[in-house]
Amino acid sequence: MSLVERITSFADAKVWYGNLPIESLYTVGIAGEKFFRAIKDRGVIMGSVCPSCNLTYLPPMMYCERCFAELEEWVEVGTKGTVYTYTVVGVSLGGAPLEQPEILALIKIEGAHGGLVHRLGEVKPEETEIGMPVEAVLKPKKDREGSILDIKHFKPA
Amino acid sequence: MRQVAIVGVGYSGFRSISPDLSYKELMYEAAAKAYDDAGVDPRRDVESFVSVAEDFNEGTSIFDEYVPDQIGGVLKPVHTIPGDGIHGLIAAYMQVLTGAMDIVMVEAHSKASNVLTLSDVVAYAMDPIYNRPLRANPLFIAGMEMNRYLYKTGTTEEQCAQVVVKNRANGFLNPSAAYGARLSLDAVLSSEPLSYPLKRLEVSSHADGAIVMVLASGDVAQELSALPIWITGVGWCNETPSLETRDWESATYARNSAEMAYRVAGIRNPRLEIDFAEVDDTFAYKELQHMEALGLCREGEAGLLLEEGDTELDGELPLNPSGGNLGVGHLLDASGLARVLEVVLQLRGIAGQRQLEDVETGLAFGWRSIPTTSGAAVVLSN
Repeated sequence: MSLVERITSFADAKVWYGNLPIESLYTVGIAGEKFFRAIKDRGVIMGSVCPSCNLTYLPPMMYCERCFAELEEWVEVGTKGTVYTYTVVGVSLGGAPLEQPEILALIKIEGAHGGLVHRLGEVKPEETEIGMPVEAVLKPKKDREGSILDIKHFKPA
Repeated sequence: MRQVAIVGVGYSGFRSISPDLSYKELMYEAAAKAYDDAGVDPRRDVESFVSVAEDFNEGTSIFDEYVPDQIGGVLKPVHTIPGDGIHGLIAAYMQVLTGAMDIVMVEAHSKASNVLTLSDVVAYAMDPIYNRPLRANPLFIAGMEMNRYLYKTGTTEEQCAQVVVKNRANGFLNPSAAYGARLSLDAVLSSEPLSYPLKRLEVSSHADGAIVMVLASGDVAQELSALPIWITGVGWCNETPSLETRDWESATYARNSAEMAYRVAGIRNPRLEIDFAEVDDTFAYKELQHMEALGLCREGEAGLLLEEGDTELDGELPLNPSGGNLGVGHLLDASGLARVLEVVLQLRGIAGQRQLEDVETGLAFGWRSIPTTSGAAVVLSN
C-alpha cells in the first residue's frame, strides 16, 4: 500500500488558485477603551493594577494573568521607559528588503509589569542599546484616534 | 498506568516544494507507510485518529472535515487539533491511556509551499490592537528575543551561526532532509540580517511533507512490534500570548514542558539520563535557548558546549541529529512530529549514516514558532 502511480511531467502538476478576503472588527474592550482614551484625550499611558500580585499591567488587562483576579485599580505609568530589547527589521511584511530599516523595541516602563512594543525614532540603529532610556513621542492631539499609533515612536530621553 | 509505545512511523517528504502531490496524497502516503510499518490495517485495527492542522495554513475553513478519508478514518473517531505535532501525539497517547483504545494514530503535515502569503498568516496571529498596527514583519519577534538572549547569557552571534553549520551538516547525512548542506561559519554570519541580530541563514526554510505515527498500548505494542519505542514522559505548557509580559530570556514554556515530561518519566537528572535530543531550532538561537530551558545544561552554557562539540553527532549530547528544522526544513505544525520521528529512528537503530551509538533515551521538544509561547515535550525509550 502506498502511491503506485506518480506524476512524471511538470505539465501535469496542476494547481488551483483560491483566496479569502478576511475582514474583521476587534472590540477593544473595557481595559483597552480606558487605555486608548487616556492616550488620545490626555496624552498619558495607564496600566491596571493587581494589588494581590503587586503588578501593574501594561498593556492593561481587566484580569490578572497570575492570580485570575478582576482588576479595578488604574494608575498612570508615565511616558518614559528603557529599551528592554530591540531589533532592526530589514524586510517588509511581504519579505522585500526595506530601504529604511525600522528599529522595533520592547520598552519597559518603570513600575509596570510588561511594557509596549513600538518603533524607535530619532536614533540610528548603531546608536541603539539595550537599557537605553527612551520616552514616547505622541502625535499632536488633533491627529490622535485612539490607537497604538497615537504614539509615533519612542525616542532617546 | 498503562504503557504506550510508538509501533509504526511513516512519512512523505521532506521537500522544499511538492507540486506532484496534493496535501491529501502526502498524508495518504505517510499513513500507508506507517500502517505498513506497524503491521496494522487502519480500517480494521486503528480505533482512533488524531490530526494536527491550522485552518489558515491549510487555506480551508473548518479543516477538520477534510482529514478522515486520506488517513483511513472515515466512520471512525477522528478529531483535529491546532497545535504542534507533539500536542497531537500527546492527545493520541492520552486516548490510549484511557483504556478505551488500544491502537491510535496521529498525523501532522505541511504544505507550506502552497501558502502564498505565509508571513501574512503569521502576522495575523499577533495581537490585532497592540501589535499588528505596527505592520512589521513578524520576524521582529525573533530578532528582539535573540538580542535579549545574547545580552542576558553572553552567547555570541558566532555560536548561533555554528548551530546552522552543525544542523545543516547533520541534514546532509539525512536523505529525507530538504536543506542538508555543508556551510562555512562565514557564509552564515555574512548572510543578510533580516531582523538584527537574526540573519537569513539562521531562519529555517519551510518544507512540505507529512508524518504519521501509530501508538499502541503495552501488550498490543509487544505483539505488533519487535522494537516498540515507549513514551515514558509527556509535558506541555503555554506561557502568555502577550509580547509585553512574557519571558524574553529563557523560554519558560520549554522549561515547564520539560519539567512535566521528566516528572512523568521519573527523570531526575536530564543531563545524565537523556542520551540525545531533537529540539526546536526554527531560529538558530532557539536551539541554544531551548537546550538550556530543557535542563540539558546550565543557562548561558549551551553556546560553549556547542563550540566544544558536545552537541555534534559524536559528542556527549547530540542535538538534532536529523538536521532539525534548519536541515530538514520547517514543517509548520508537523515540525514537532519530525523531532519525534528522528528520536524513534535513532532508538530503533535505523538512522543510517547519522545513527548514534548506544542510545536508550531521547527527548523531543517542539515549539509553535512566532508569535507563540506554546511548547510540548516527549521522552522516549527503547
